Amino acid sequence: MQCFSGTRRWALKLAAAAFAGTLAFAAPAQAEKPIKIGFSMALTGGLAAAGKAALIAMEIWKDDVNAAGGLLGRQVEFVYYDDQTNPSTVPGIYTKLLTLDNVDLVVSGYATNMIAPAMPIVMSRKMVFMSLFGLAVNEKFNYPNYFQIMPAGPNPLTDWSKGFFDIAAAQNPKPTTVALVGADAEFARNALIGARENAAKAGFKIVYDKTYPPPTADFSPIVRAIQAENPDVVFVASYPPDSAGMVRAINEVGLKTKLLGGGMVGLQFAALMGKLGPSLNGIVNYDFWVPEPTLKFDGVEAFLKKYQEKAPAAGVDPLGYYLPPYAYAYLQVLGDAVKAVGSTDQQKLADYIRSHTHKTVVGDVSFAPNGEWATPRALMVQFQGINDSGLEQFTKAGARVVLWPEQWKSGTLKYPYAQ
Amino acid sequence: MRIGWFYPIALLLVLGGAFATKHVDSNFVFYAGYVVLQFIVLATAWNILGGFTGYVNFGTAAFFAVGAYTTIALNKALGLPLLAIMPIAGIIAGLIGLAAGYFTLRLKGVFFSIATLALAVVLETAVANWGYVGGASGSYVIPPAEVPFFDNYIEGLFSLMLLLAVVAVGIARYIALSKIGRGFAAIRDDEVAAECMGVPTLRLKLIATTLSGALMGIAGAPYPFYVTYVEPTSAFSLTYAVNSIAMPLIGGTTTWFGPVIGAVLLGSLQQWATVTISSELNLLIVGVTLVAFVVLAPQGLVGLARKLFGRGGRTP
Repeated sequence: MQCFSGTRRWALKLAAAAFAGTLAFAAPAQAEKPIKIGFSMALTGGLAAAGKAALIAMEIWKDDVNAAGGLLGRQVEFVYYDDQTNPSTVPGIYTKLLTLDNVDLVVSGYATNMIAPAMPIVMSRKMVFMSLFGLAVNEKFNYPNYFQIMPAGPNPLTDWSKGFFDIAAAQNPKPTTVALVGADAEFARNALIGARENAAKAGFKIVYDKTYPPPTADFSPIVRAIQAENPDVVFVASYPPDSAGMVRAINEVGLKTKLLGGGMVGLQFAALMGKLGPSLNGIVNYDFWVPEPTLKFDGVEAFLKKYQEKAPAAGVDPLGYYLPPYAYAYLQVLGDAVKAVGSTDQQKLADYIRSHTHKTVVGDVSFAPNGEWATPRALMVQFQGINDSGLEQFTKAGARVVLWPEQWKSGTLKYPYAQ
Repeated sequence: MRIGWFYPIALLLVLGGAFATKHVDSNFVFYAGYVVLQFIVLATAWNILGGFTGYVNFGTAAFFAVGAYTTIALNKALGLPLLAIMPIAGIIAGLIGLAAGYFTLRLKGVFFSIATLALAVVLETAVANWGYVGGASGSYVIPPAEVPFFDNYIEGLFSLMLLLAVVAVGIARYIALSKIGRGFAAIRDDEVAAECMGVPTLRLKLIATTLSGALMGIAGAPYPFYVTYVEPTSAFSLTYAVNSIAMPLIGGTTTWFGPVIGAVLLGSLQQWATVTISSELNLLIVGVTLVAFVVLAPQGLVGLARKLFGRGGRTP
């Protein structure tokens, strides 16, 4: 009898232990459900080169976070779809992410066209929306939970070219005339609107103000027309293919002006810098990050090292100074907010992001009420001492010296442009 | 009497769609469905000119964008609701179709196609320089927070596009079964012979370009509400031209239901591929499907089915 009851007690104990064990295992299994971050990204189509580079940066962030134990003890997982650089795919993608994939967090894809179509969907669910290089998207939506990582500043249209005209106005004798030229396309048109305002504010006389259609191939007639007006300052707002064409035409024609550049997209990319080489010398252009001693933020070099290892295999920008650090940083802001708040409660996350300064690989970031950077940091850099087409020289300080803003200045302007 | 079955089915489809908006939880169905329905309208509209008369139009994007930009302009100027804008968009796009037809229909074959492609380029340049609708920097249209009868605006847009698709297919069917359709077919087979037999070819072709343009314009009108941000590059995207040609080709260009089959198949395939394969591969799938149809079934699915069953049935 006793023996039997002993066995029974044993069995009970075993059962109890097994039950407790299941509970003990069940609890972490529940906690280990991954945090899903959803987004669309341009992996094919016109913006694919940038989109793929951004995705590499985002995956580096995910690996870093997961290696350090994840967020809230949960691993981070991405759910993303190729938007094919086609805005009409974006509403469907974000609806699927939010209703069928049930992601915990969403971030934007790359660039204005792909960000705006997601806004109404994200807004209807009151999600925090971290945005990657959207130009003034929130101006019409006024969505309080929108945060944009491109450092254009609270008034993106005018802050973009403010540095360029500040530099021009600081010269002695002060230049008097300005030529504005740009592409008939989204970013270039917006940049020209800002440039017009800044030029007027700084008291310059605009002697040339024209746009050209995007498929333009030969820029020498445009450069000659600008030269005919003999402007002291030439502000150019162009897209990658025309930036290259413009630089070549300027060198061919031998444009005589004192300050040149401003809003030329593409002169930040390794491929174009390598191709254009010494003809870039003297151009003053916007940039977001360059390897100058004033901009060595915590973690940026470690990040770039990892990125540069992965870039050649993916066939994307081998240096990755322009977009990738920001693609890492916008997730960093979101991830740090999740850690600080201790949940994925969207309103708490938004309140936290809005009210704090965030330490990222692109420096300290704090947001203005409209979701743009509180203080603009669109750098104005000048190409100096470029000797050949080697990429190595662009990885060293001194090839693109920061002239503006004062806080990040790393060298002095070589003036005038054509000596 | 022969038309008898079509209208009840069409009505059932519209009612079924409206019913679905009340009972399907995931809005994804409506976002994806909207795009497929939009392509049914575009493919059907393209087929009225391209399939029935044989004039290949590469300018779908031009008419589509005219509709989209009519919405932007009228919404900004007068604050008109979408329902009021759509007929106006149809009229404007129809008039552009009429004018384009009048000036280009003397061109035949590939030259006509090039002229329609040029129309898209000219209109895109014009819009890019028209500051009022945002020019090259684009324009935002904020969708309304509340829509009457529906829980949210996408359900409204979906139902609207469904209704439009049914109307467009109804028009194409009416044409195909009427005297006009036989005139179109005569033009497609041999225009000179048709003219000699007394078919008023120019008038018929102008009817085709006007109708086709108007339907494409109406299909484009809700687009700004769907994407909320429109700029010329995406509104005039070549995707619209390519898809509205590919879909009738896959389905079969000589019937009214060929484009519908093509649009449902290729459109759904694209929507499915976007959220599943989601890489360069989905472009490959669409490309391979197209090539396969051109090689294996040059008359489209309808032609293939007829070859397999129709003729097979008749021959012993």
